[in-house]
Amino acid sequence: MSVFYLIFVVVFDRGGEDHVAFLLTGLVVWKWFAASIPQCANCISVNVGLIRQVYIPKYVFPAMVVTNSTMKFLIVFVLLLLFLIFTGKSPSVVWFALPVLMGLQLLVMLAIGSVLSAIVPFVPDLKLLIDNGMTLLFFMSGIFFDISSASPELKTYLYLNPMAGIIDNYRAVLLDGVWPDWPLLGTVFSVSLPGLALGWYLLRRFDRTFIKVI
Amino acid sequence: MTRTGNGRQLAISIENIAVAYQRRAGFFRKEKFWALKDVSFDVYHGETLGIIGRNGVGKSTLLRLLAGLMSPDKGRVVNHGVSATLLSLQVGFVQHLTGRENAILSGMMLGLSQNEIVAQMDNIRGYADIGEFFDQPVHGYSSGMQARLGFSVAIHADPDVVLLDEVLGVGDALFREKSSNAIKDLVRSEKSVILVSHQPAMHRQMCDRLVWIEGGVVQDAGEVKTVLDKYQQYHK
Repeated sequence: MSVFYLIFVVVFDRGGEDHVAFLLTGLVVWKWFAASIPQCANCISVNVGLIRQVYIPKYVFPAMVVTNSTMKFLIVFVLLLLFLIFTGKSPSVVWFALPVLMGLQLLVMLAIGSVLSAIVPFVPDLKLLIDNGMTLLFFMSGIFFDISSASPELKTYLYLNPMAGIIDNYRAVLLDGVWPDWPLLGTVFSVSLPGLALGWYLLRRFDRTFIKVI
Repeated sequence: MTRTGNGRQLAISIENIAVAYQRRAGFFRKEKFWALKDVSFDVYHGETLGIIGRNGVGKSTLLRLLAGLMSPDKGRVVNHGVSATLLSLQVGFVQHLTGRENAILSGMMLGLSQNEIVAQMDNIRGYADIGEFFDQPVHGYSSGMQARLGFSVAIHADPDVVLLDEVLGVGDALFREKSSNAIKDLVRSEKSVILVSHQPAMHRQMCDRLVWIEGGVVQDAGEVKTVLDKYQQYHK
């Protein structure tokens, strides 16, 4: 975290007064996502010992990973809120939108995580791709730059990444004190829901088949 | 004790099952390898059924099917309302939790409720016989101690059908005798036990009935002595 600060605030001298808060908000939210997805992808092969001994419905594993990272996130998020209040942001009524944002992010992570957890045991090489993909997404999610300041056509592509929109909206709520972009969040929601359904279906479909490939 | 199992209540039936594994046959090509081709047999309440066969004939696959961990590619496994568990030595121990906590965790995964385990905790502790270590984190255990704890929990989990995959090689001589006695008790009890091994001596000692698997099919099944004689004849 301090490395990011050093590079972007001190070296590049890009820090406005809000830059630390801007960076922190992006990073905390991203960290939640980044702690969930690669682990979800691995979760079935990691628990191979258990799966070979007792029957456990396989959707338990991604759910476990996400619950775990959510607990950690909640603690860090409270610290972030304290930091924001301490540095002069006052809680406003729009903060009530935060649980909605968190719920949405949870849904996105469960959707992506469950689909990946069901596919990766059959295609183990995907793990590499996912790790690199996470790095790529990290740079494309607007964690240390403001996506809304990008050119319009570029913006359309960047917003295809659900995390970009979500991070953007956390900032809108926390830093600018405005309500989130509901239509955008609605779109993310309506794409994630079928994703979660697909993940659920795959995990059920291959419930007793995973044991053969791990 | 009836030796055939006829006239008894069915516990699990295996009907014409076949299981294939993917095998890499080239750079991109994969082929199916049929570990089990056509296997059928019944398991009755209270009997001890032996499964014999050489390495790689699908004995472990069969146990996984019976335990409901795997679904067959053809045929079906009919469970007549029993719980079947692999008697294992450590079901998902979490290394930084204590033996007591792990006993609860692993007992719950074996299908007990938390209260049931807590009620039996003294027995589990006494049986594992690892002294003060019971309330220490598991990562400080020797492998023998982990096995003792695991075995103790598994024995107390009390499933209807116990699936045994040639264990008994755990712990020191004293504990080995204890565990082998526990298994003999299981065998004598009203539980069904399925014993997988390639040691004829063990089957002769414990089983009521024997199923011999060879080449993915049931080569022979029935009275232990008859089947064993044929098995040994075949592998001479």
